[in-house]
Amino acid sequence: MNNIYLPNLVTIEDIYEEAPDVRSFRLVFKDQKLRDSFEFKAGQFGLYSAFGLGESTFCIASSPTRKGYIQCTFRKTGRVTGGLANLSIGDTMGFRGPYGNSFPVDEWKGKDIVFIAGGIGLPPVRSVIWNVLDRREDFGKVTVVYGAKTVADLVYKNELQHWEERNDVTLVQTVDPGGETPDWKGKIGFVPTVLEEAAPGANNAVAVTCGPPIMIKFVLNTLLKLGFNENSVYTTLENKMKCGVGKCGRCNVGDIYVCKEGPVYTAAEIKKMYNDF
Amino acid sequence: MADKLLKKENLGKLIESVLGKGGRFIAPSTDARQVVFKAVAKAEDLASDYILARNSYKEFLFPQTEVVAEFTVGKDGVDLRGTDVNPKDTVIFGSRPCEAASLSALRAVFTWDFIDEFYTKREDKTVVLTVACTKGDEACFCTTVGLSPETKDGSDVYLKETESGDYIIEAVTDKGKAFVEKHAAVFEDGSATAKPLFIPAKIEGIDLDKIKERLAKTENYADPVWGELTKKCIGCGACTFVCPTCHCFDITDEGTAFEGERRKNWDSCQYENFTLHASGHNPRDFQHKRWRNRFMCKFNYYPNKFSSKGCVGCGRCIRVCPVRLDITEVMEAMSK
Repeated sequence: MNNIYLPNLVTIEDIYEEAPDVRSFRLVFKDQKLRDSFEFKAGQFGLYSAFGLGESTFCIASSPTRKGYIQCTFRKTGRVTGGLANLSIGDTMGFRGPYGNSFPVDEWKGKDIVFIAGGIGLPPVRSVIWNVLDRREDFGKVTVVYGAKTVADLVYKNELQHWEERNDVTLVQTVDPGGETPDWKGKIGFVPTVLEEAAPGANNAVAVTCGPPIMIKFVLNTLLKLGFNENSVYTTLENKMKCGVGKCGRCNVGDIYVCKEGPVYTAAEIKKMYNDF
Repeated sequence: MADKLLKKENLGKLIESVLGKGGRFIAPSTDARQVVFKAVAKAEDLASDYILARNSYKEFLFPQTEVVAEFTVGKDGVDLRGTDVNPKDTVIFGSRPCEAASLSALRAVFTWDFIDEFYTKREDKTVVLTVACTKGDEACFCTTVGLSPETKDGSDVYLKETESGDYIIEAVTDKGKAFVEKHAAVFEDGSATAKPLFIPAKIEGIDLDKIKERLAKTENYADPVWGELTKKCIGCGACTFVCPTCHCFDITDEGTAFEGERRKNWDSCQYENFTLHASGHNPRDFQHKRWRNRFMCKFNYYPNKFSSKGCVGCGRCIRVCPVRLDITEVMEAMSK
């Protein structure tokens, strides 16, 4: 029987501490065949199981250009993420996916790309960033604007440093006022404000944003102000999900099932939705 | 032309014939003084006088709780075993036409793109024998949603009661024809007159097209009327559990970190937890937003997304509501 709720077993190959209570797992499928054949697209998500505790939904934070493994990043918040946080390298967990739609990266060839993320909204954006950087010659200018509440809350610190050092990426980092440390060299201010100051060109450009709902709301306004077309601005929605496959009935925003018709939407599409966020 | 009849005295034989072939026979039966759909073994178990069973028989196709996988976590890793369902042939006897019409809605959600075989395997093995209504009550409103006791959608065999308590049977689908052939010995040829059907009056002031039109406008979503109409809802979720088209569920693990099972359990969009994010944010943070979701699901999302009826007018949600929040009153308000 084809059991759509049956996860695949994955082994935790590595664990990275990203920020307080935020960690990443590098996961490989136990089944060698699946390890070789597994494919996904940037923006897709999965259901991750801690056996005995249940499943949680996170994006796939690694890039589809990096084969053989997937990475997820999560904050320890509830029962399932608490259980996942107790697992160690070599332990087994469950994964179902990939589910949902994706960022149309292929359509962006030749365009400038601006990534804007806040806090733990960077993981889904990271998948796209690496997807783009691994095919760097296909795209124009790449700008990353990333902020968190405090310096400690910035995730992927090693990669931020790497992007900072690359001369084909413009990285603007910021922390909320009061979140800086004495040796902080980035900006101090909220993401939408910092984005407006950075003023990346909107001509022949697309923007990708993810973060807390309030940040997304103001970032969308700023992008429109900067001249971005709302059909060229993408975001990824999150909603509570249990099945991931359009059955369990809770992730809908009005008549849109985020798990199936999302999670990636343009600003134009979001504007047309029922206000059910 | 002679009718095909199921004589009252042959009901027991039909049950025996179904059980004898390894099937189960689900029918309205009295349990704790209520008429409910349940598995019965003999004709005496059947309720004789009822309008509509308290529960929907969806629970025999989509159980309240079911195991989808089992796991054991040991030193050598995780042993994960997916569940296979091998359902018995199931006969639903005594469905009403409204409820039979709800099956296409369940099938739509469980089969769009990803196929939930826990549902489809059971439904494929189920034969629905509908007994047309000869009585009803003030909660019945099938005619208001475009159905009637004469509707045969979803019924495999359609039965009409006769004055003497027998049934005139009509096999509607191939599945129904096969069922009648399989149990041919219990049916007889003859002629009889059907009792007149109970046709509930269409509620004046409700217009499904107007409801659809109003709900389609996103600017009406924040209409304060939602809060006013549904203020008395206590969020118990009873309406969703008795509703034949409500299908929402949760997936949870039961057991310990060493051994347990993953289960699919009925859930309800009326509960605060249903959409509560880990961050504490809740898109449906007030009861009226949850009520609005259920109504929108029935009269906008389902018709648009699945071209199927989200509401069949069975009236169960009205009968069961502890605060007498009547969906037809909201339909009437939304028809304006």
